[in-house]
Amino acid sequence: MIPTVLIISFVVFFIIQLPPGDYVSSYIAKMSAEGEIFTQEMIDEMRAEYGLDRPWYIQYFYWMMDILFHGDFGYSFSYLRPVWDVIMDRLGLTIAVSLITMAFTYLVSLPIGIYSANHQYSVGDYLFTFIGFLGMAAPNFLLAIILMYASYVWTGTPYIGLFSQEMLQNGIHLYNFGEFLKRLIIPVIVIGTSGTCGVIRTVRAQMLDEQSKQYTLTARAKGVSERKITYKYCLRAAINPVVSGLSNSLSSIFTGSTISAIVMNLAIQGPVLYTALKNQDMYLAGTILLVQAVLIVIGTLLSDIALGLLDPRIRFEQQKED
Amino acid sequence: MDRRTEDRVPVVQVKNLTIDIPMDEGVLTPVRGVSFSIHEGETLGLVGESGCGKSLTSKAILGINDKKCRTGGEILFSEADHVLDLLKLKYGSEEIRKIRGERASMIFQEPMVAFHPMYTIGAQINECTRLHITSDKVKSKEITLDMMKRVGIANAEKRYDQYPHEFSGGMLQRALIAMALVCRPALLIADEPTTALDVTIQAQILELMKSLQKEFDMSILFITHDLGVVANMCDRVAVMYLGKIVEEASVREIYKNPKHPYTKGLIGSVHKVGTHNQSKLFSIDGTVPLALNLPKRCGFYERCSSRIEGVCNRLEPGRTMLDDDHSVNCFLYDKENIHG
Repeated sequence: MIPTVLIISFVVFFIIQLPPGDYVSSYIAKMSAEGEIFTQEMIDEMRAEYGLDRPWYIQYFYWMMDILFHGDFGYSFSYLRPVWDVIMDRLGLTIAVSLITMAFTYLVSLPIGIYSANHQYSVGDYLFTFIGFLGMAAPNFLLAIILMYASYVWTGTPYIGLFSQEMLQNGIHLYNFGEFLKRLIIPVIVIGTSGTCGVIRTVRAQMLDEQSKQYTLTARAKGVSERKITYKYCLRAAINPVVSGLSNSLSSIFTGSTISAIVMNLAIQGPVLYTALKNQDMYLAGTILLVQAVLIVIGTLLSDIALGLLDPRIRFEQQKED
Repeated sequence: MDRRTEDRVPVVQVKNLTIDIPMDEGVLTPVRGVSFSIHEGETLGLVGESGCGKSLTSKAILGINDKKCRTGGEILFSEADHVLDLLKLKYGSEEIRKIRGERASMIFQEPMVAFHPMYTIGAQINECTRLHITSDKVKSKEITLDMMKRVGIANAEKRYDQYPHEFSGGMLQRALIAMALVCRPALLIADEPTTALDVTIQAQILELMKSLQKEFDMSILFITHDLGVVANMCDRVAVMYLGKIVEEASVREIYKNPKHPYTKGLIGSVHKVGTHNQSKLFSIDGTVPLALNLPKRCGFYERCSSRIEGVCNRLEPGRTMLDDDHSVNCFLYDKENIHG
């Protein structure tokens, strides 16, 4: 695991510095467009200050050393603050939004998937399939704009962002928590629907597959009720791919969605990564990507452990290897 | 033991059973009027090629065919004080679930996939015990363990907590038999129970089934395409072809005196040990036709070597009783109806 993470960090850093130019050049381009004039000395001075005049592998080496021995992930050029502070700023909210979205996704898609499988080719099945595909195919930002517009027309309040003006001034308290939850509805629906259809299809296909299995027939032949067959026999086996799908969600919990977040003005991690990449704010972008990679590795480990707990056959093979 | 059928009560009577499956291309009719009865303590062999409808027929008894199958006819099941038409019971209803596993149970062709891979063998057998006999945990486990020992699973206490992948095929089939018999059913349906097993294991499993049958005095519906197994296991044989029973008789009669050209073909295609002729085994030309939009004629017409032109391709043969215990559906023995 540790070598994997080290290699990933190396590749991440290599790729981030690949595009021509660096933070200084994109900063200067931006400022020049606004009419500022820079001399070559000023530019070189800035480079030296940020340590960008050294070759990239030296930069990588110092970056890694700082991370490993000082827990220092570098400095964000555009925020003018340590990278870790910038990330921590938005971490809580990102996790909150992501977790609620994930809960929404599974709460909606698991029952629908089971229903669709039990009533294959029924009107309900077709209806959910249609809605699900619509949710998957429609671009999220479009859905976001439509819902924001609709909410404005119906309620008269523009639900943009997670906080109202009043919350930004006074902070979130019990009395305005309801308002905060209300503002969560649209982002959760928008971000959640894209994943929902995928999970519905997975669950439906898995459940159908399980229903034609011999052991389902055996269970039926010994007098087990249809309800118990669905939940105890089919779902138990069908849940595996859903659990392995969870391994990726840890890292998406950390970042949240990007484009929808920009459209809906959500203060979560996704847009930060986006602007950091755009401005070549390399330590910030590198750190976010690195954390994502680490989380994917951890997520995979966790889902493997979960699968081992769920499925005796996997457990068995592990014991044999020991 | 005397197996004369007249003085015994039929445990199950299948009367004119039909199964239709609506499909996009038309209606599939894999079972087209099957009738037979199985008496107490008797083993009836249901023999036929793949696709002749024997599995569907057997599953119809327990009502575990796919929901899109439409069934017709009657399946009369004898309970202690009344007779129940199993086809009248609603799909998955409590009444039919009381029959399944408790009064009539089933073992399957492939024991390796008949158990859920994520639950222990013991738990899966015990589920049957708890559903039908007692919900008391300690008692039901005792009953389950006892049955596991009876079917010859050594070290049953340890095996109870093992998963299906830790069992061999033969052991799994024993476990499946234990699960089917734990409630001492009146009828056991065995759907090719030894086809997927090694020959040596096959013999053990068959012996086990025979001894348990005697012990529990149950009836068996034995489905197979293996005529050697039939001779070993069954009292009577019903030969099925294209959704119909074409000949029914006692085992001796079927082997010594087969009447229907299809039965003759089946018997002729079995290699007889001890015969020294090097001649090729007999084989029946062609395959079973798909039971879709069948014309009105004998189902075996196309493959039959002794067909009567103008009769067999125009009419469907009915059942002809040759004697008390031997019936056949063939115009060769039904001279009266040829012109009817």
